[in-house]
Parts: sequence; C-alpha cells; structure tokens
Amino acid sequence: MRGIEFFRNVSIGQYVDSGSYIHSLRPSTKYLWLIALMVSGIAASSWVGAAFPFALALALGARAGVRPGFLLRGAKPILPLLALVALLQFLFSWPGDDSAVLLSLGPFSATAMEARLVGMTFIRTLGLMTVIGLFTSVTAEGESMHGVEDILSPLERLGLRPQRLALAFGVALRFVPIVAGELEDIAKAQASRGADFGSGRGGPLKKARAYLPLFVPVTLRALERAESMAEAMEARGYSEEGRTRLASYPKRRGEGLARIAALLACAAPFVLDYFAQRL
Amino acid sequence: MPLIELEGASYTYPGSLSPALDSISFSIDEGEYVAVVGANGSGKSSLLRLLDGLRPPSSGEVRVSSLATSSREGRARALRAVGLVFQSPVDQIVSSSVEEDVAFGPENLGLPRTEIRRRVDAALAAVGLAGETRRPSHFLSAGQQQRLAIAGALALDARCIAFDEATAMLDPAARETVLGLMESLVASGRTVVHVTQDMDEAARAPRVLVLDSGRLVFDGSPEELFASDGDSIPALAVLGRPDCAVLARALGLPALARESAAELASRIATSHIAIARTAASRGAIDPDAPMAFELRGVSHAYLGGTANEKAALREVDLDIPRGALVAFIGRTGSGKSTALQLLDGLVAPRSGTVRSLGVDLGGKSVDLRGIRMRAPLSVQRPESALFELYAADDVAFGPRNLGLSGKALVERVRAAMEEAGLGYGEFRDRRTRTLSGGEKRRLALAGVLAMGGEALLLDEPTSALDPATKASIAALIGARARGGTTVAMATHSMDEAAAADLVAVFVEGEIAALGDPETIFYDRYDPAWGLRRPFAVEVAIELEKAGLSLGFRPLSLDELVGALA
Repeated sequence: MRGIEFFRNVSIGQYVDSGSYIHSLRPSTKYLWLIALMVSGIAASSWVGAAFPFALALALGARAGVRPGFLLRGAKPILPLLALVALLQFLFSWPGDDSAVLLSLGPFSATAMEARLVGMTFIRTLGLMTVIGLFTSVTAEGESMHGVEDILSPLERLGLRPQRLALAFGVALRFVPIVAGELEDIAKAQASRGADFGSGRGGPLKKARAYLPLFVPVTLRALERAESMAEAMEARGYSEEGRTRLASYPKRRGEGLARIAALLACAAPFVLDYFAQRL
Repeated sequence: MPLIELEGASYTYPGSLSPALDSISFSIDEGEYVAVVGANGSGKSSLLRLLDGLRPPSSGEVRVSSLATSSREGRARALRAVGLVFQSPVDQIVSSSVEEDVAFGPENLGLPRTEIRRRVDAALAAVGLAGETRRPSHFLSAGQQQRLAIAGALALDARCIAFDEATAMLDPAARETVLGLMESLVASGRTVVHVTQDMDEAARAPRVLVLDSGRLVFDGSPEELFASDGDSIPALAVLGRPDCAVLARALGLPALARESAAELASRIATSHIAIARTAASRGAIDPDAPMAFELRGVSHAYLGGTANEKAALREVDLDIPRGALVAFIGRTGSGKSTALQLLDGLVAPRSGTVRSLGVDLGGKSVDLRGIRMRAPLSVQRPESALFELYAADDVAFGPRNLGLSGKALVERVRAAMEEAGLGYGEFRDRRTRTLSGGEKRRLALAGVLAMGGEALLLDEPTSALDPATKASIAALIGARARGGTTVAMATHSMDEAAAADLVAVFVEGEIAALGDPETIFYDRYDPAWGLRRPFAVEVAIELEKAGLSLGFRPLSLDELVGALA
C-alpha cells in the first residue's frame, strides 16, 4: 500500500540540531566547505578523486552527529535519472570508442568506457547530494541566509543589496516545505475524488490535462500564501534601508584552520588524480 | 485620548465595483479592548488593514496617534503602533527560528543589537515562550505560533495589537491561552482589537463593533448587542449570540453577554423554572452493525526514519460501525487528521492493519483508488483544491472519474450542489473564483458529496466559517449520517462532537477515550485533554450540583431547554 507523503526521502533542507563543533562554525566557513567539496567532486577525473568528497562528507557527517543513512537517502530521488543516463550510454555509442565491449545486445553495446562514464556520473552525483545534504543538516535556515549575506557583502560597493538577496533566498527556502505541504494536501483532496495522476493515457495534451487538478490550485495557493507572507512582513515594517541584524557569528576557535582545511580538501582530489594516473 | 480614529473611511479593492468598507467612523482610545464581529466577507479583515496602515482608505481618513495613515510618516507610525496577528499561524512567520522571527520587526527599525536582544527577550517572556528562543519556528504548535506572532508585534513596541480571527484555527486550550494573553495585554495598558466570528469570544470585550456588508451597524456594549432583538441588527441572525445568552433568552431570563455555567445555573435554580424533565430522543447505533472501518495496532510517524521524525499515532485501535457519525476531537497535532487519512489509504501506516469497508488496505492487490472513491476525504480548507473555472464543472470532477456522463452526471452534480446549499440553477455557471469563502466551502463539500460514497471523511469541515454557515454545514452532515452514510469527522467544536453518535478523543497520538457523547462529556471527561465541555453540559452539571435534577443528561442547548421549560 502506498500513501501520499512527499517529504520522506528528502534529506536536503532538513537541519539536524546536534550542537556539534561543525554546527557552531560560521556560516561563511560552511559555505566555503560546501563549494570546495562540490568543485573538487565535479572536477576530479579519477575514481578515488571523485569519491573523495563523498567519503569526506560521510566522515564529517559522523563527526557532526548526522547519520550516514540519512545523508544517503537524499540521493534516492535521483536514482531514476542515473538509470536513464546508463540506458542512454547503452543505446548510443561514442565515436572512436575502441574500449572493450562488455555486453552487447543486437546493435546496442556497453563498452568499458561507457561503464566508466556511468560509474563516474554515479559517484559524482552521489557525492554532490551527500555534500549538499550535509551542509543543510549542519546549517540552520537562518544561518544559510546570513551566510549568503556575509559572503556577498563585498558586493555592496557595486550597488548590489546582499540583504535583499539573502532575504529572497531565505524566504524561497521557507517556501519549499510550504508548497510541498500544499501539494500534498491538494493531491490528497483530488485523490479522494478519484484523480489518478501519472497513468493518463492518450496524447500529450490529455496527459498534461490530467495534472490540471493539481497544478492550478497549487499555483493559486502558493501565490496566496506568498501574498500573506508579504503582508505579514509589511505589517512588521519591512524596509530595505537601514536594517540591522540580531544574529552575529563570532569567530570560533580553529575557524581559520577549518577554512584552510576546506582549501586543502578542495585540492586533495587533484592530488589523488595525479597519483591514480601514475599507478 | 484616541489612539485610532476613522472618519468616513471607505475602502474598495482594486478592480472591485462595490466597496469592502463603506464610510466607517469610530475611534478607539488608548487601552481599550474592542471586539469586531461580522459574517464572512463583511469587511472585518479589510478594516484591520486600514487601522494598521497596510492600506490607505480610498476615501475618508484613518488617523493613528493623530496622524493620517495616507501620509508616508503616518503609515510608518501606524505600522509601528498597531501590530497585526493573522488567522493562519504559519503564514506570518518570517524567519526560521523563534528569536529571529521576533527580531524581524526591530531589525527593520534599524535598532542596535543590544536593544533588539532586550526587546526580543522581553517580548518572548511576555507571551510565555522564553524557553523556546532557539527552536525552529515551524516546529511550534499552532497556539505557540500565534503567541510568537504576538511577541513579534510586542517587540515593535506596538501600543495596539489587532487580532484577525487569530483563534479560529486553534484548539480550545490554545484558544483560551491566546484569549488570556489578550486580557493581560489590556491589563498592561495596551489596546486590543479582536476580530472574531465567535460570539462567546466577542462578549469578553467591553465594546463590540458589528460590520454588515462593509458598514458599521452597531457600536456598543455586548450586553446591549445581545439583548437587542434580531430586527434592529439583522446581522445577529448570522452571528448568533453567546451560549449563555441563547440559553437565558430561551428560558425567559434576562440575557447577559458573559456568564459562567455556574452563575447561569444558580440563576436558573433560583428562578422557579418548572422542570419538564423531557428527555431528548437520540438515535442509537445498531449494536449489530458491521464495521465500516477497523484500525488495529496502527502506528504512524511523519518523516519516518529521518532525524526530524514525528510520531503521529501510537498503537491505535478503533472500530467505526457502518452508518455511525463519529467525531474525532483533540488538540492540534494529536493525530486526528492522520487517523482520517489512514482510513482511506492516503497515509500508509508504519505498522498495524487498516480495514476499510471490508477491504484490508495492506493487501497486495488492493485498489486504493476504488477505496478512496467509496470513502472520499474532504481535507482541511477543501476549497483550496478547487480548480475548474465554473462551479458545476468542479463538482463534476469526481463523478466523471467514477465513469458517469450525460444525464446521470448532471443529475448527480445537481443533487450534490443542492444538498450543499448551492442552488444548481443559480450557481452552476458561476466562476469558482468569484464565490465567497462560505460558498467555496460548500462547493468543495459538494464535490465530495457527489462521489456518493458509502462513507465520508471530513477534516474540520466547519472551521473558520461564520456561525450561520457552520450550523448549516453541520446540519447537512447530520442529514447524510441519518441517511445511512458512515461519517468520520475531525472537529474543534465540542457542540458538533456532542451531536455525533460516537466521540473519539485523541491525546498525543493515542485514543484516550471512545464512546457516545454522553459518556465522553459526563463520565469520562478529563480536563487534561485540553478540550472543554459543551456549555449545555457545563450548565447541567452545575444544576445537578445546585440540587436541581433534570432526570437526564442533556448534550445541547436545545435538549437542556427542552428539559427545563
């Protein structure tokens, strides 16, 4: 039996408050780590290099009291996408691919190079999702908003408004669960009236029409709720000029070291790449 | 000295032809406690937005601290002087943690950090949330979220707090806390404006304003308002009176606006009212009826297996006989909605078994879509799921999915709309978006009624409606149940629960008591549930204490009056 619950498999965006040292670092330091691990995971070209951010994120998660199972589950929704990548690799061949054929079926074949590409895509995506999941589990919403503000503050001289950007970012984050909740409610309401999403037969127009009972009310509700929130903000005198901030993030002991470590972690996969090629 | 003054203030929404507010004049003094009542769509919310400076009047003038809100400076002053607390707890939370949310206002004022800290701490202490500063705001209960919103207004140093039906979505205990806070705000010298559709709540204020179609039709004390007959104030027919006034009038006693059950009982006991001892006849459930729904050892948790796992139900056993009307009562978050959604397989339990209409929902090849259509659920605020352009098309969505077409479809839609109180001829071609709040609720219910299911699952079907609409929807649910449909309904209204065949009391995910309303409200009632008894029950118990035996135990004001007069 399948119920309608959307938030079960989303570990991204769920803060895990364990009060660890990693939690207490400044938001800007956490962003530095996030970017460092994402960049190195994508740019690394060897197996070990690409797997490094993934392994490190799991290890850091363990230090921060975030269970590996929780982080891994965040990658579950993208598995179908990866399966599609694998299928495409199998159906189409690369020009000039003369690596060993591992499996063939009629005109289609999987070569060693394709298998490697699929594997690398898998490990990189898994790494990315884990790193992002770790970041959101150790960074409260407010902190991630203030982090954006702090990182972008030098841009104020160029006429940009970091506070405004950060607030837009924060409100957008807050809206993810709100809209998901509305979607779940409305899906339940329509399912009670016999709606059957996804199994719509017929042409694309008919299929698209099957989603109208979801799409129209969710859009309207999201707009209504955005309006309510805008009104609540206005009622509390929201202004862009001269705002101050309650939250402050004093430097923690070892904050500088943590930042240097982030840069080292960013460089590590490239070093691993180098050794992997020499071997 | 007046804090707020309105002089011939009108407001017309952009694109609307008729004004939402029509030349309103009154003033509110510093430290006053004023209730504003009116039916759905009478202009109450628009009025608050005018007081607060959120909207300038289209004509006439609104002044806060002697400054017109149409000027830039006046608007800024009004926004600071008048804090708003809205109906929906979630929609007014701007920040992710409790203290940051309270700090939002002072941050906008550009105050230094130490001053923000001082104000945040003082405001949180005033609403009793001092221990929750670091909590994520979306993990607070609905009642706590409303207290958070009050703290947000206090931190702006608002002299007036205006509540826009801020108790409508709360359970009785949370409601009592917020009402108590209003009184302590008044005691500390602040002004309170309370927009409400609940006359018992309105009667707590010494002054009541009544709005009817955008016009101010009454401004006076609640005693004056509720003692007046319906002719002079037609809006009273929609709004009704506080329970104590209804009862006193029915017994021919002078009606007071606010009176406890004990006070009224002692007036009755000393007034030589003859006791007829006419026991009301109530329908009984057929003891041999087969079960429509059976839950066995059902547990469920949201975000199961994640760090934020939240238990919703624990080891629940529940039997609902066919043809019964069952009310689920309990505090917000006690598991009522989850239980309803389990019954038609919208939520799959973590453990335990659910049998619905004879089908084991855990079975391998179970047709959940079929079950959902046989026992359709109306979610909270079902009107938010309306999607068709025209009213009748929306009602037709379900019957079409059942395979109906042509004449049979039209007939089904017509019958459902009429049953929900929307004349088919008048409403079928109305645009859904142009319906009033009450009409939208009726339309959404018609969409569920049109499924013609053996059972109906209703999640707070009468919430946030005016008393007259509430009563007519409760009546239509009762009629369905008497017609043989099994109905399970979650409600915060104890009067609606008292009219059910069975009442299930949910406390923190468990069923604390299950029985007929008489057993629940007389024998098993426990104040720790965080609910309250129907007023008629409270009065009957007080009469019994005063030595006046009625010979039976009434559950509604009608039954009580029948027993006395």
